[in-house]
Amino acid sequence: MWERKKLLKNIDFYLLGTVLLLVVISLVMIYSTTSHNTALTSGNPFLMVKKQLVAIMIGIFGMSIIMCSDYRLPDLVYQILYGFNLLLLIIVLTPLGHEVKGAKSWLNLGGPFSLQPSEFAKLMVIITLAKHLADKEDLDSFWDLWSPFLHILPPLALVFLQPDLGTALVFFFFFFIMLYIAGYNGRFLFGIIMAGVLILALIFLSHHYFGTPLPFKEYQIRRMTIFLNPDSDPTGSGWNVRQAIIAVGSGRFAGKGLFQGTQGRLGFLPENHTDFIFAVLCEEWGFLGGFTVLSLYFILVWRSLVIMQHAKDKYGRLIASGITAMFVFHILENIGMNMGIMPITGIPLPFLSYGGSSVITNLFAVGFLESIWIRRQKLLF
Amino acid sequence: MPGLNQLIFRKRTTLLLLGIFAIVGILIGRLFYIQGIKSNYYQKMAEDQRLRDIRVEPMRGTIFDRKMNTLAFSFDTECIYAIPYQIKNPEEEAKIIADKLKMSVDEVYNRLTKKTSFVWLKLKPHPNEVQSIMEARIPGVEVAQKAQRFYLRGNLAAHLLGISGIDNQGLEGIEKYYDQYLRGIPGSEQAEYDSKGNHIPLGERRFIDAQNGACLVLTIDQVIQYITERELEKAVLANGAKRGAIIIMNPMNGEILALANYPTFDPNKYSAYPTSARRNWVLTDQFEPGSTFKIVTSAAAFEEGIVQRNSEFFDPGFLIVEDRRLRCWRAGGHGSQTFVEAVENSCNPVFASLALRLGQEKFYKYLKAFNFGAQTGVDFPGEARGIVPPISRVKNVELATIGFGQGISVTPLQLLGALSVIANGGELLQPRLVKEIRTPDGKQVIKEFEKRTIRRVISKQTAQEFSFILESVVENGSGNRARVEGYTVAGKTGTAQKPQDGVYGQERIASFIGFTPVENPKIAAIVILDEPQSSVKYGGVIAAPVFSSIATDVLKYLGVKPEVKREGDVHTDGENSLIVPNLIHLPREEAIKNLSRAGLTWRGIGRGEFVISQSPKAGIMVKPKTTILLYFDEESKYGKDSSTVVVPDLTGLSFSEVNKVLTDLDLKMVANGTGIAFKQLPAPGTRLSPGAIVTVYFVAKGDN
Repeated sequence: MWERKKLLKNIDFYLLGTVLLLVVISLVMIYSTTSHNTALTSGNPFLMVKKQLVAIMIGIFGMSIIMCSDYRLPDLVYQILYGFNLLLLIIVLTPLGHEVKGAKSWLNLGGPFSLQPSEFAKLMVIITLAKHLADKEDLDSFWDLWSPFLHILPPLALVFLQPDLGTALVFFFFFFIMLYIAGYNGRFLFGIIMAGVLILALIFLSHHYFGTPLPFKEYQIRRMTIFLNPDSDPTGSGWNVRQAIIAVGSGRFAGKGLFQGTQGRLGFLPENHTDFIFAVLCEEWGFLGGFTVLSLYFILVWRSLVIMQHAKDKYGRLIASGITAMFVFHILENIGMNMGIMPITGIPLPFLSYGGSSVITNLFAVGFLESIWIRRQKLLF
Repeated sequence: MPGLNQLIFRKRTTLLLLGIFAIVGILIGRLFYIQGIKSNYYQKMAEDQRLRDIRVEPMRGTIFDRKMNTLAFSFDTECIYAIPYQIKNPEEEAKIIADKLKMSVDEVYNRLTKKTSFVWLKLKPHPNEVQSIMEARIPGVEVAQKAQRFYLRGNLAAHLLGISGIDNQGLEGIEKYYDQYLRGIPGSEQAEYDSKGNHIPLGERRFIDAQNGACLVLTIDQVIQYITERELEKAVLANGAKRGAIIIMNPMNGEILALANYPTFDPNKYSAYPTSARRNWVLTDQFEPGSTFKIVTSAAAFEEGIVQRNSEFFDPGFLIVEDRRLRCWRAGGHGSQTFVEAVENSCNPVFASLALRLGQEKFYKYLKAFNFGAQTGVDFPGEARGIVPPISRVKNVELATIGFGQGISVTPLQLLGALSVIANGGELLQPRLVKEIRTPDGKQVIKEFEKRTIRRVISKQTAQEFSFILESVVENGSGNRARVEGYTVAGKTGTAQKPQDGVYGQERIASFIGFTPVENPKIAAIVILDEPQSSVKYGGVIAAPVFSSIATDVLKYLGVKPEVKREGDVHTDGENSLIVPNLIHLPREEAIKNLSRAGLTWRGIGRGEFVISQSPKAGIMVKPKTTILLYFDEESKYGKDSSTVVVPDLTGLSFSEVNKVLTDLDLKMVANGTGIAFKQLPAPGTRLSPGAIVTVYFVAKGDN
């Protein structure tokens, strides 16, 4: 009794409230973007909303359990988590995996439910990596990077094989942020990032001048670069970006009104309940809605940082930094893509985009943040 | 935790926070840029891709005659169109559509497979066809409202009105000239479409109203136009002319009251006629005027004081100019004559010498003042300007021929304008076809075209004096068949030779220009019969009567009070003296009858059918019972045929009876009025060759 009261009192309600608000907005926008789409709903306008609601319930349930539990898990659990993660990522590449739009990312669970292992992979890698980095005594020299890198390499490679470039980029992003927060030598870190950029540049230059093969497919490169000039192919690869920007822009200050967006409704903007839900939100709610949602995301990220700052130990701090990095990257990439300043990689907007695996993963992540917050280091002066 | 690490951690956390600020700042900035600064641009793009315009055609303005009778108007009809790229299976759908619209499958298929976004299937469908095509619900086939032009009076004033095309554009005539007023401003209907191009029936709709076109009020009077066309048709058919044209104008203000060409066409189905029938050649063509042009030479000479009414001339039948011998139309010439007589006789050498006396400079000054060689500026597209040879190339020979209307090309309207100068007291006016432009509902006047004087050409006195000379041309001279009972008429005949392949050939252009009443003219007219095939091709014989018929009806219609009625055809002057009537060009019987009615006797020379000369001349005072010497044409080309018929007395017969009698005799009837025949020309007993015309005057029963 005493324990529970203390627990409730210590929850970060800013974070929780922000997340719940985003989830509610998500349900409304999913209704707006799918209710008229009979191909998706087979006649039941609430079908997608219901499916998402089930996922949210699962997510909230899991979040509550994680919140109440100590984030410091027994050592064996990390190994199980790591192994389970790899197993899922391997299964998805086998014929059991389901291919959607050129990426084998899905596992059918029977019935209407399916699973996207790469979504869960992010959180599982963050937790196990945090544990690995926290346990590491020395993290100064270049060679100290080998073990963390070997840690993320197998899941990263498997994600890359799907291929899910977006998630792979998320891995890189939180990997470097976590190293940064772990106190790794800043100059080395910078050098590594620059070296990576240089190698990438060399690969492209060599392809351009000597015809060496690229590790990417042509269409992937086009998708990645079209945002720079979507008008160069308005009816092909530039279509989505253009339509997203048109949706956002035509929403103007106050929006066209809820359920009044034309871009999605008339089929101009595809993927509008997943990748491009932000564009529809901006179309229907205008700048007011877009600004509100961006503010909510700012609160989310800001609270994550605060929690990171107040974590009791290095492990908690690293989990928080990884989760923060994941959120930041998703938000920047997805919203940036909706407004034509980031390449199209097809990663969802946390809490808003339709997708059970994504929202469950993110809610679990919030569970970890709350768990870290509840058990934070009390500053005594 | 070691203190140093804590410091690094704080620093890095702060940097991370700054990074997040930057990211959120960039995103908000971008959001504001797209939704705030560029929102109009993107809104327009969004609308452009989901809204499609369907043009809403404005209603074309109505064209009225001067009494606000409708001549041409537009009304909405349903039309069927297709959007080819929405047709999924053109072959099958072409069959269905062809069946429903009663069109050929091939034609429908060709239209459905055109690479355009829009194609008309049927413009004037029957309501049942519209119904059945709507029930068929073929995607990509739709029904639209489309304005249709209708010319209420069929071919009345067809050349003048012109035609307009299926897309509401004026193509010819007034429709073209005033297209910018008549056309209106199109509106649009915007409807919503999805990304696949399917129409969203319950989607957004926007309307931008079309602005209907303005109405035109013509100067044309539909009754006068009708009379004119009726008489023109009769004359062209009776004389076997290739074509004919008449313009009637109010000489006092330049308003054109009627303008007709024959052959004509029905603008409602203009495509059924050859383009040549659609040409308003009376405005777009020029011709060599011949004798009618002598009014210009005379007016100039009069104004310059070179000639007076009674100036004496002697015509030996030719005039030698430099090395050329210019012949008078009459072999042997007209001998000694006054200027008035010369005009009456239309004596070529006299006008040639007048032109020479005026000289190039002065003559050209008048040609320019009368506006020859330039467009009159009438509000009609494609007006010809005529050809006045450049003064540098006009030597005496050319000058002399221009003096009697050869070697110069004019338009009928220029000639009518010159006549109006004489009729109205000396001012050249802008001829006009449109009186007013009105609002689309026809109620308010937007623009009024008023009388516009271009310049004064001759003095009022010259104009008046010359008017009286032209009056005597009709009273006593070659134009006497233009007389209108009860009114004075001034006029001039013309029979121009038509140049064919560079030389003058057999074909003629018979013309008459005239105005009436002389002292206060109400109408001025030009009558042209091109290439008549009748036995007589003189303007005075075939064109002048047309003027007479038209003027008779028009003056009555206009309510012009008859002037003092003159006695018969003869001027009485004193008790014992008579004026010799003009008998030239008249058929033998008619001339003899005229003489006997006037109380004169006659003696004939020659065996021909027509009087070519007489002695004493017309207008000379003689005592009753004087013998007049009549010269008939020798074995003339219009010579007497053995198979002539005698004209019976037709008085008292009804229209249909007269028609039957004359048809049986192989004669042609020109009818004036309706009811019972009371007068006929030529008189009973006259011998006529088959195909000749008998003019019969009818009076309503019960009238006196």
